[in-house]
Amino acid sequence: MTRQRRVAVTSPQTRMALARRPGAPGRLPHLAPDDADRAWRTYREQRRQAAVAVAVVVLLLFGLPVVLAVLPQLGESRVAGIRVAWLAVGVLPYPVLAALAFWQLRRAERAEDRT
Amino acid sequence: MIAAAILPVVLVTLLIGIHGVAAMRTTSDFLVASRRISPMVNAAAVAGEYLSAASFLGVAGLMVKNGVGALWYPVGFTAGYIAMLALVAAPMRRTGALTVPDFAEARLGSPALRKLSAVVVLVIGGLYAVPQFQAAGLVLNVVSGAPYWFGVVLAGAAVSVTLALGGMRAATYVQAFQFVLKLVLFTVPAVWLLVVAGPDTRRDALEPLEFTTFHRETSVQFQIGTELVVAEPTPVRVGDGSVRELAPGRYAAAEGSRWTFPAGAAVPEVDGAARPGSTEWLQPLADPSDTGHPVLATWSLLMATVLGTMGLPHIIVRFHTSPDGRSARRTAAITVGLLGAFYLFPVVYGALGAVLRPELYLAGATDTVVVALPATVDTGTTGAVFTALLTAGASAAFLATSLGLLLALSGAVSHDLVPGTLRRLRLTTFAVAGVIVLLALPAARFDVGLLVTSAFAVAASTFCPLLVLGIWWPRLTASGAIAGVLVGLVSSAGVIGANLALGVPSGGIAVVLGQPALWSVPLAFATMILVSLRGEPPPWATAALLRLHLGDGVATR
Repeated sequence: MTRQRRVAVTSPQTRMALARRPGAPGRLPHLAPDDADRAWRTYREQRRQAAVAVAVVVLLLFGLPVVLAVLPQLGESRVAGIRVAWLAVGVLPYPVLAALAFWQLRRAERAEDRT
Repeated sequence: MIAAAILPVVLVTLLIGIHGVAAMRTTSDFLVASRRISPMVNAAAVAGEYLSAASFLGVAGLMVKNGVGALWYPVGFTAGYIAMLALVAAPMRRTGALTVPDFAEARLGSPALRKLSAVVVLVIGGLYAVPQFQAAGLVLNVVSGAPYWFGVVLAGAAVSVTLALGGMRAATYVQAFQFVLKLVLFTVPAVWLLVVAGPDTRRDALEPLEFTTFHRETSVQFQIGTELVVAEPTPVRVGDGSVRELAPGRYAAAEGSRWTFPAGAAVPEVDGAARPGSTEWLQPLADPSDTGHPVLATWSLLMATVLGTMGLPHIIVRFHTSPDGRSARRTAAITVGLLGAFYLFPVVYGALGAVLRPELYLAGATDTVVVALPATVDTGTTGAVFTALLTAGASAAFLATSLGLLLALSGAVSHDLVPGTLRRLRLTTFAVAGVIVLLALPAARFDVGLLVTSAFAVAASTFCPLLVLGIWWPRLTASGAIAGVLVGLVSSAGVIGANLALGVPSGGIAVVLGQPALWSVPLAFATMILVSLRGEPPPWATAALLRLHLGDGVATR
C-alpha cells in the first residue's frame, strides 16, 4: 500500500478567505463590467424578494400575538376539543413557516437562474 | 440504568466520529465527501447542533412554569432560519468566511472590527453554554440524586474529553445522527406518555384546572431557595419533622429542603411563576417577567429569537459544509421543516407536566419535567426505560450544542483574539470548558429560558445588523459597523447583566429592561446606518458587496 501524501484541502472560497491579510482584502474585490451588470440585477431582485419574505414573516408572527390579545374569545374556542390559542401557537406556525421557507427558496433560486 | 442510557449516546457519537475520520483518509475521498454532503444531511446537522438542552428540556419546563406563552420560544427559534435563508445564508457562504469575525474582516477590512466581533462571540457563546451545563447538572440531580455541582463538573469533563478524543471531527455526520436520535428520543416517549396517561389525564391536560389544592400527599424537593406566599392556614411537614400549620404570610424554603404537603392542603404561591392552570398561565402570550404588557413582551422575545439565530457562532460555521451559496440556502430552508417537526412535541410534555407534576413549579425544578414524567405515569420498568431514553436524549442535546459552542468559543479566543497554533487551540478548549463550569456552578437559580433568550438578544443586537447591512447595504463603513456593534452589545448585554445581578425589575419598566431586544436591535441598526452615512465607504465596497450576490462559480473566478 502506498502512502499518500496528506494535503490540506479547502474550497476555493476558503482559500480566498485565508489568503486575505489583515488590514484590507488581500486582492481588492473587482468585477468585470458584464458580471457587475448581472450582479446588480440579481442583487436588486433578491433584495426585493428578501424584503418581502421578511415582511411576511414579521407580519404573521408579530400579528398573531395581537390577534390573540384582542380576541381572547377566539383563543378560548375549541377545535376538536383543543383550545384555538394552543393550536395557534403550538402547531399552526410550523407548517406555515416551512411553506414560507420553500416559497422564498424557490423565488431566490429562480432569480439567480434568470439573470 | 441512567448510566446505561447516557453511555451509548457518548459511545455512538465517538464511534461515528472515529469511523468518519477513518473513512476519509485520502485527499480525494475528503474532497468528494465534502462536495457530496447534501443540503438534507447538512440541514439535519444544523438542526442537530441547534436543538440544545434548552429545546429538549427548557421549553416544556417553561410551559409548566410560565404557561402556554412559552410556546412562542420555539416559534422564534424556527422562524430564525427563514430570516437566515432570506438574508444571510447564500451570500455569507460565498464570502468563504467561517465565522462572523472572518466576515467582518472580509467585507469591511477592519482588524479592529474582527477583534470586537470575537469578543461578541465570547459573550453570546458564554450566555448560551452556561444554561446547557446548568441543565446537565439539574437533570443528573433529578434522575440520580447526585448533587448539582457534580453534574456540572461531569458535563464539563465529558465535553472536554469528547473533544480531546476527536469525536467531533466528522462533525457533519455526527450532528446529523444526533438530530435523528433526538427526534426519536423526544417523539416516541411523547406518544407513549399520551397513550399510557389515559383518557382522564388527557382531558385534564387539555382543560387544566388551576393548581390550588394538593390532590394527594406531595413532597416538594426545593432545588433553589424559594419564597412561598401562603394565603390560608396550610399544614406542612418540613424534612422528617412533624406536621405543623403555617399561618398566612411569606415563608422561605431553603435550598435542598423537602416540604411535604398532605392531600387537600392549599398550594402556596411563588413570585415570578404562574400557577399551572390559572388564567395567567393559560394566556397564550409570553410574558415571563410579568410586565403587564404581554404583546410587547412577546414581540421582544420574537425579535430576539428570529433575528438572533443568524448570529449564533456555532450555527454559522455549519453552513460552511455546504459546497456553495445555493446549497447553503437550501440547507436553511430544510432546517425550518426539520425543526418544525421537533417543536410540535414540547407542548405534549408541557401540558402533561402541568397536570401530572404541577408541584415542580414550587420546587423551581420545572426544567426537569420532561425526564420526570415517565416515572409519574408508570412506576414500573417501562417507566424507568423511558426515563432513561429521555435522559439519553437530553444528554445528546447537551453534548451536541456544547461541543459546537466550545469549538466556536475556543476558535474565537485562539484564532481571532490571540492567534496561536493548533496545540494552543486544544488547550484553549479545556480552559474555556473550565470557565463555563465555573460560571454554571452559581447559575442554578437562573432560568434556562432567560439565559438562552439573552444569548439570542445579544446576537440580534450585534451580529444581525452587521450581517444584514454588510450583505445588503454598500454604504456600510467599518466605523459605522464598529459603532453599531458596540452600541448593540452595551445595550443588550449591559441590561441583561444588570438583570442577572440585581434581578429583573417588576412592573411596566420590565418591558424595557427585562427583554431589551425590542429596542436594542433598532438602536444598533440606526447607529450603524447613521455613523456610516457620515463617512465614505472605500471605493472597492460596492464590488465586495456585489460579489456576494453573484451566482455560484463566478465569484471565485
